[in-house]
Amino acid sequence: MLLPQFLPRFYIYLFAMIFAICLLATSLNMVLGFGGMYQFHHAVFYGFGAYAFALFVTKSGLPLWIGYMIAPFCSAFLGLVLGLITVRLTKLYFGMLQISLGSLVWAITYRWYSFTGGDDGIHGIPVPDLIGSSSGAYYFNLIVTAACLFLMYMIVNSPFGRTFQGIRDNPERCEAVGVNVQKQQLVGLIIAAFFAGVAGTLFVTVEGSVFPDLMFWTLSLEILIMCLLGGWFIFMGPALGAAIIITLRTFVGIYTEYWTLILGIVLMLLIFFLPEGVLGLFLKKASPAEKKEG
Amino acid sequence: MKTFTWICVTLAMALVLITAPAQAAKAIKIGIVDCYSGPPAAYTNDVRDAFKLEVDKINAAGGILGRKIEVLTRDSKFKVDLGLSAAKELIYRENVDIMMGTINSALALAISDMCKKEKVPFFVTFSKSAKITGAKGHRYVFSITENTALAGKAAAAGLAKKPYKKYWIAGDDYEYGHAIADGVWDNLKKLRPDVELLGQSWWKVGEPDFTPYITAILSAKPDAVIVATGGRDCVPFLKAAKATGFNERVPFFMHTATELATLKPLGLDAPENVLGTSNYFFYYPETDANKSFVKKFETAYSRKPAVGAVYGLLAAKFIFGAYKKAGKVDTEKFIDNVEGMSVDSPVGKVTMRAYDHQAMLPMFMGVTKKVAGYDFLIATDIVTVPGKDVMPSIEEIKKARKQ
Amino acid sequence: MEFAANITLSALLQQVLVGLSRTTILFIVASGLSLILGVLRIPNVAHGSLYMIGAFLTYTFATLVGQSALWFWLALIVAPLGVALLSFVFERGLFCHLYEREHMMLLLFTFAFSLVIGDMVKLIWGSDYRSLTAPLFLQGSFSISGFPFPRYNLFLLIVGPLVAAGLWFLTNKTKIGKIARAAAVDREMVGAIGINVSWIFAAVFVIGCYLAGLGGALVAPTQNITQGMDHAIIIEAFLIVIIGGLGNIWGALLGALIFGLTDSIGILVLPQFAIVFPYMAVVIVLTFRPKGLLKSTW
Repeated sequence: MLLPQFLPRFYIYLFAMIFAICLLATSLNMVLGFGGMYQFHHAVFYGFGAYAFALFVTKSGLPLWIGYMIAPFCSAFLGLVLGLITVRLTKLYFGMLQISLGSLVWAITYRWYSFTGGDDGIHGIPVPDLIGSSSGAYYFNLIVTAACLFLMYMIVNSPFGRTFQGIRDNPERCEAVGVNVQKQQLVGLIIAAFFAGVAGTLFVTVEGSVFPDLMFWTLSLEILIMCLLGGWFIFMGPALGAAIIITLRTFVGIYTEYWTLILGIVLMLLIFFLPEGVLGLFLKKASPAEKKEG
Repeated sequence: MKTFTWICVTLAMALVLITAPAQAAKAIKIGIVDCYSGPPAAYTNDVRDAFKLEVDKINAAGGILGRKIEVLTRDSKFKVDLGLSAAKELIYRENVDIMMGTINSALALAISDMCKKEKVPFFVTFSKSAKITGAKGHRYVFSITENTALAGKAAAAGLAKKPYKKYWIAGDDYEYGHAIADGVWDNLKKLRPDVELLGQSWWKVGEPDFTPYITAILSAKPDAVIVATGGRDCVPFLKAAKATGFNERVPFFMHTATELATLKPLGLDAPENVLGTSNYFFYYPETDANKSFVKKFETAYSRKPAVGAVYGLLAAKFIFGAYKKAGKVDTEKFIDNVEGMSVDSPVGKVTMRAYDHQAMLPMFMGVTKKVAGYDFLIATDIVTVPGKDVMPSIEEIKKARKQ
Repeated sequence: MEFAANITLSALLQQVLVGLSRTTILFIVASGLSLILGVLRIPNVAHGSLYMIGAFLTYTFATLVGQSALWFWLALIVAPLGVALLSFVFERGLFCHLYEREHMMLLLFTFAFSLVIGDMVKLIWGSDYRSLTAPLFLQGSFSISGFPFPRYNLFLLIVGPLVAAGLWFLTNKTKIGKIARAAAVDREMVGAIGINVSWIFAAVFVIGCYLAGLGGALVAPTQNITQGMDHAIIIEAFLIVIIGGLGNIWGALLGALIFGLTDSIGILVLPQFAIVFPYMAVVIVLTFRPKGLLKSTW
C-alpha cells in the first residue's frame, strides 16, 4: 500500500477519508448486521467523537494523543447513555427512539454557537503535519483502521460475538437459555459507539474540521446504505460499501450536481436486485453453498 | 479476501483513469467556490458573471502573459462542509493558481485557513466577516468586499444620529451574523454610550418561519432593531417583515438591505423605510464609469448589475493587473504586486491596503423607498462614506492578530 | 444566551397563537406519517420530500396565470392530489413488490425515494427558491392586543381542526377507514376474510402522502419554498409521531401541539436554544412513556 509515492495528492486525501469511513461503516455493522439492531442514528456517535476530539484539541492545552484516547470513550459514554434509554425497546421503536435522542444531541451541538461554533463548525484544528498532512493522514488512518478492524473481527468471533449473533437470529430462545438480551445489546452498542468515535477522530485527522452535519440523520442513513451495498452479513462488506460510495460521491459530484438522485436510484436497484450486497453476490457466486439469512 | 482486494483495486484504477483532469495547455486556473443554490445565488451569480466578462475580454486578446485563463466554479450550497470539499478538490486535483469565493463567512474563513497552509492566494468576494482580514488575516488572503468592521462603523455613524436608545439585536446564528452585529454595536456604543441592548434573538441559518421571532421581538418594545442576516436570510426576512408589518411597527437596520440583489427578488412587496448600508448602486452615483459598466453588463446578461458584479470586476482587475505587473506567474511576486495596488471601478478608485489585504470601498447609507419608474424599491437619502474613513486602523488590526 | 425581557401575558398569548398555527401544519403532515406507520408499519422517510413537492406544485399552479386568489385555491386542491398521484405510482409501481421484505429494506427504499424526489425537484424547478404570496384577503395581519397576527395564520387555525375532523370521520365512520384500522391491528385476519390487503395498503399510503402534500400546499405562502424543506420537516414529523404513539392520529395531534407550542414559547423565553425545547419535551415524554403518550396500533 505504498500509493502515496505514486498518486497525486487528491487521491491520497481521498484514500485517507475512505479508511476513516470504512471504519465507521464496519462499526455500524457490529450492531446492524451482527446484532440485528435497527441502529438508525449511528452518525451521532461518530460526530460526537469527532467534536469531542476537535473541542479537546482546540480548547484544552493537553497533548494531542490524549485527545485520540479520550474521544472514543466519549462516544462510548454517549452510547451508554442513549443505550440505557433505548435498549428497553426493540426493532423499529428502538430505531426511532434513537433518531429522536440523536437528533437532540445534534440540535444542542448545532445551536450552542459559543461552544461548538454552531453552523460554522470548527476549522483549522491543529493536527501536526506528521499525521495531518495528506500522506501522513493516509498512513495514520490506514494503521488505525486496520487495527480497529482486527479488533472488531476478534470481537465478532469471540463468545460474546456469537451470543450477539444468536440474539439477532432468535432473541426469544436466547432469553430462554438465560442470556440477558438487553445487557448484551447495550454492550454491543457501546462497542459500536466506541469505534465510531475512533472513526470520528480519523475524520478530523484528515479533514481538520468538524461540522454539525456529522451528526445529522441523513449521514446515518448513508452509512446504512454503505453496509447494505457491501453486504451486511460479511465482515468486510460495509468497508467495501463505504469505499464505493465515497469514491462515487466524489467523482460523480465533480461532473454533475445530481449525486443524490444517482444514490437514490442505486439504492433502489440494490434493494430490488442485490439485497445481499455486492460482496454477498460475489461470495454467492464463489461458493454455491447456502448462505444463512438473518 | 482476495476477491475483495481485486474489486477494490480494479474500481480504484478505473476511476483514476477515467477521471484524470484534462491537461489544458498551461492555462492559469482560477477556482471559485460559492453558493449558487437558493437565495444566496441572487448575490453570487453577479460575481461570477462579471468576472467571466473580464476573463473573456482578456482571453480574446490573447490571455495574460501568453496564457489563457480558465475559470472553474463549484457550488457550496451555503454549507461549509461541501464548500471545503470543493476547495480541496480544486486545490489538490485541479491545482488552481488562485482561489475565489464565497458568500458564507464561515466557509471563507475555513478556505482561508486552507489557502494559508497551501500557499494559494484567496480572494474573498462577498463574505464580510472582519475576521477574514483582521484576527485571521494572513499573507495569502485578500478581501475585495467591505467587511463588518467597515460596515459597522458606517452604520453606527448613521444610527448614532437617530434618537433610538433601546435596541434589540436579531440575526443569523453564524459567523457573519455575529460579526456584523458586533461591528455595528461596538461602534454605536462608542459614539453613543447611552444606548441600551434589551436582548438578542439568534435563529438558525435558513430559518423557515420568522413569525414567532418577530412577535417575540415586538413584545420587548425596542426603539429600533439591528437585523444581522446574511446572504441566506436577508430576502426571506424582509419578506416576513413586510407580511407581518414589522417594518411599520419598529424601525430596523439591516446591512445590505438597500442592495439591488436584496430588493429585486421582492419586487414591490419589499418593506419601506428600512435603513441599510451597501457599497454599490447601478443608479448612483451617475458617473461615466458607472454608466458604462452598467451598459456593458446589461448588454451581456440582460439584467442590471448588483454589487456582486463590482466584486467580480474588482477581483479580475486586481488579479490580472497584478500578474501583468509581476511579469510572471509566481505566487509571491503576485502577492507583492497586489499589495497597495489601485484599480478603477464604477465606485471610483479602489486601493488594496498593503498591511491587511483589505480593499478600501466606499459605503453608502440609505433608506428603502418606492420610487416611480422602478418595479423594485431603491435607496433614497443616500449618504456616502469614503472607505478610508471607516477602515479599522492598522493598530486595531495588529491587536486583533496579536502581532 | 439572552432571556427576552417583558414577557407579558399578551406576548405569551401571541406566541401561543403562532405556535398553534404551526401545529396545524405539523399535525397534517404527522398524521399522514402516522397513518402509514400504523397500517403499513413502515416509516415513510419520503414524507418530507412529498411535503416539499406539495409546496412547489402549489407555487407552480398558483402562479400559472399570474397570482390570483382563484388559482391559489385551485392550487390548494390540485397540488396535494398531484402528490397523491405520484405516491400512487410509486406504491403500485415499485413499493408494493417489496412488502414481503423486512422493515429495514422498506425504510431504506422510502429513503431512496426521498433522495430521488429531492433531486427531481432541483431538476424541474431549479435550485432557486420560490416565494408565494397568499391571496389578497389573506394577506396582512390583525392586531391582537397590539401584536400583528398574520391573517394567514388564522386561516391555518381554522383549517387544522377541519382536517382533524375529516380524518376522524374517515377512519371511524367510513368502511375503508374501519378496514384500515383492522388491518393495522391484524393484517392476516383481514386478508383471511377475503379483503385484498394490498389495495388497503395502497389506499392508506396514498391518503397519507396526500396529507403530506396538503401540509406542503398550506405552508407554501408562509415560508420560502426551498430545497431542504424536506429534511427539516421529516425529523419533526417523526418525533411527533413517536411521542404521540405510532399509528395514533390523535397522538399526532397531541404531539404536534406539544412540538409547536414548546417551539414558539421557547423563542419567547430563550431564543438561542428555542429548537432544543421541543426535542427536550420529546425526550421527557419518551423517558416516561417510551411507546408514546397515546395507545399505538402496534
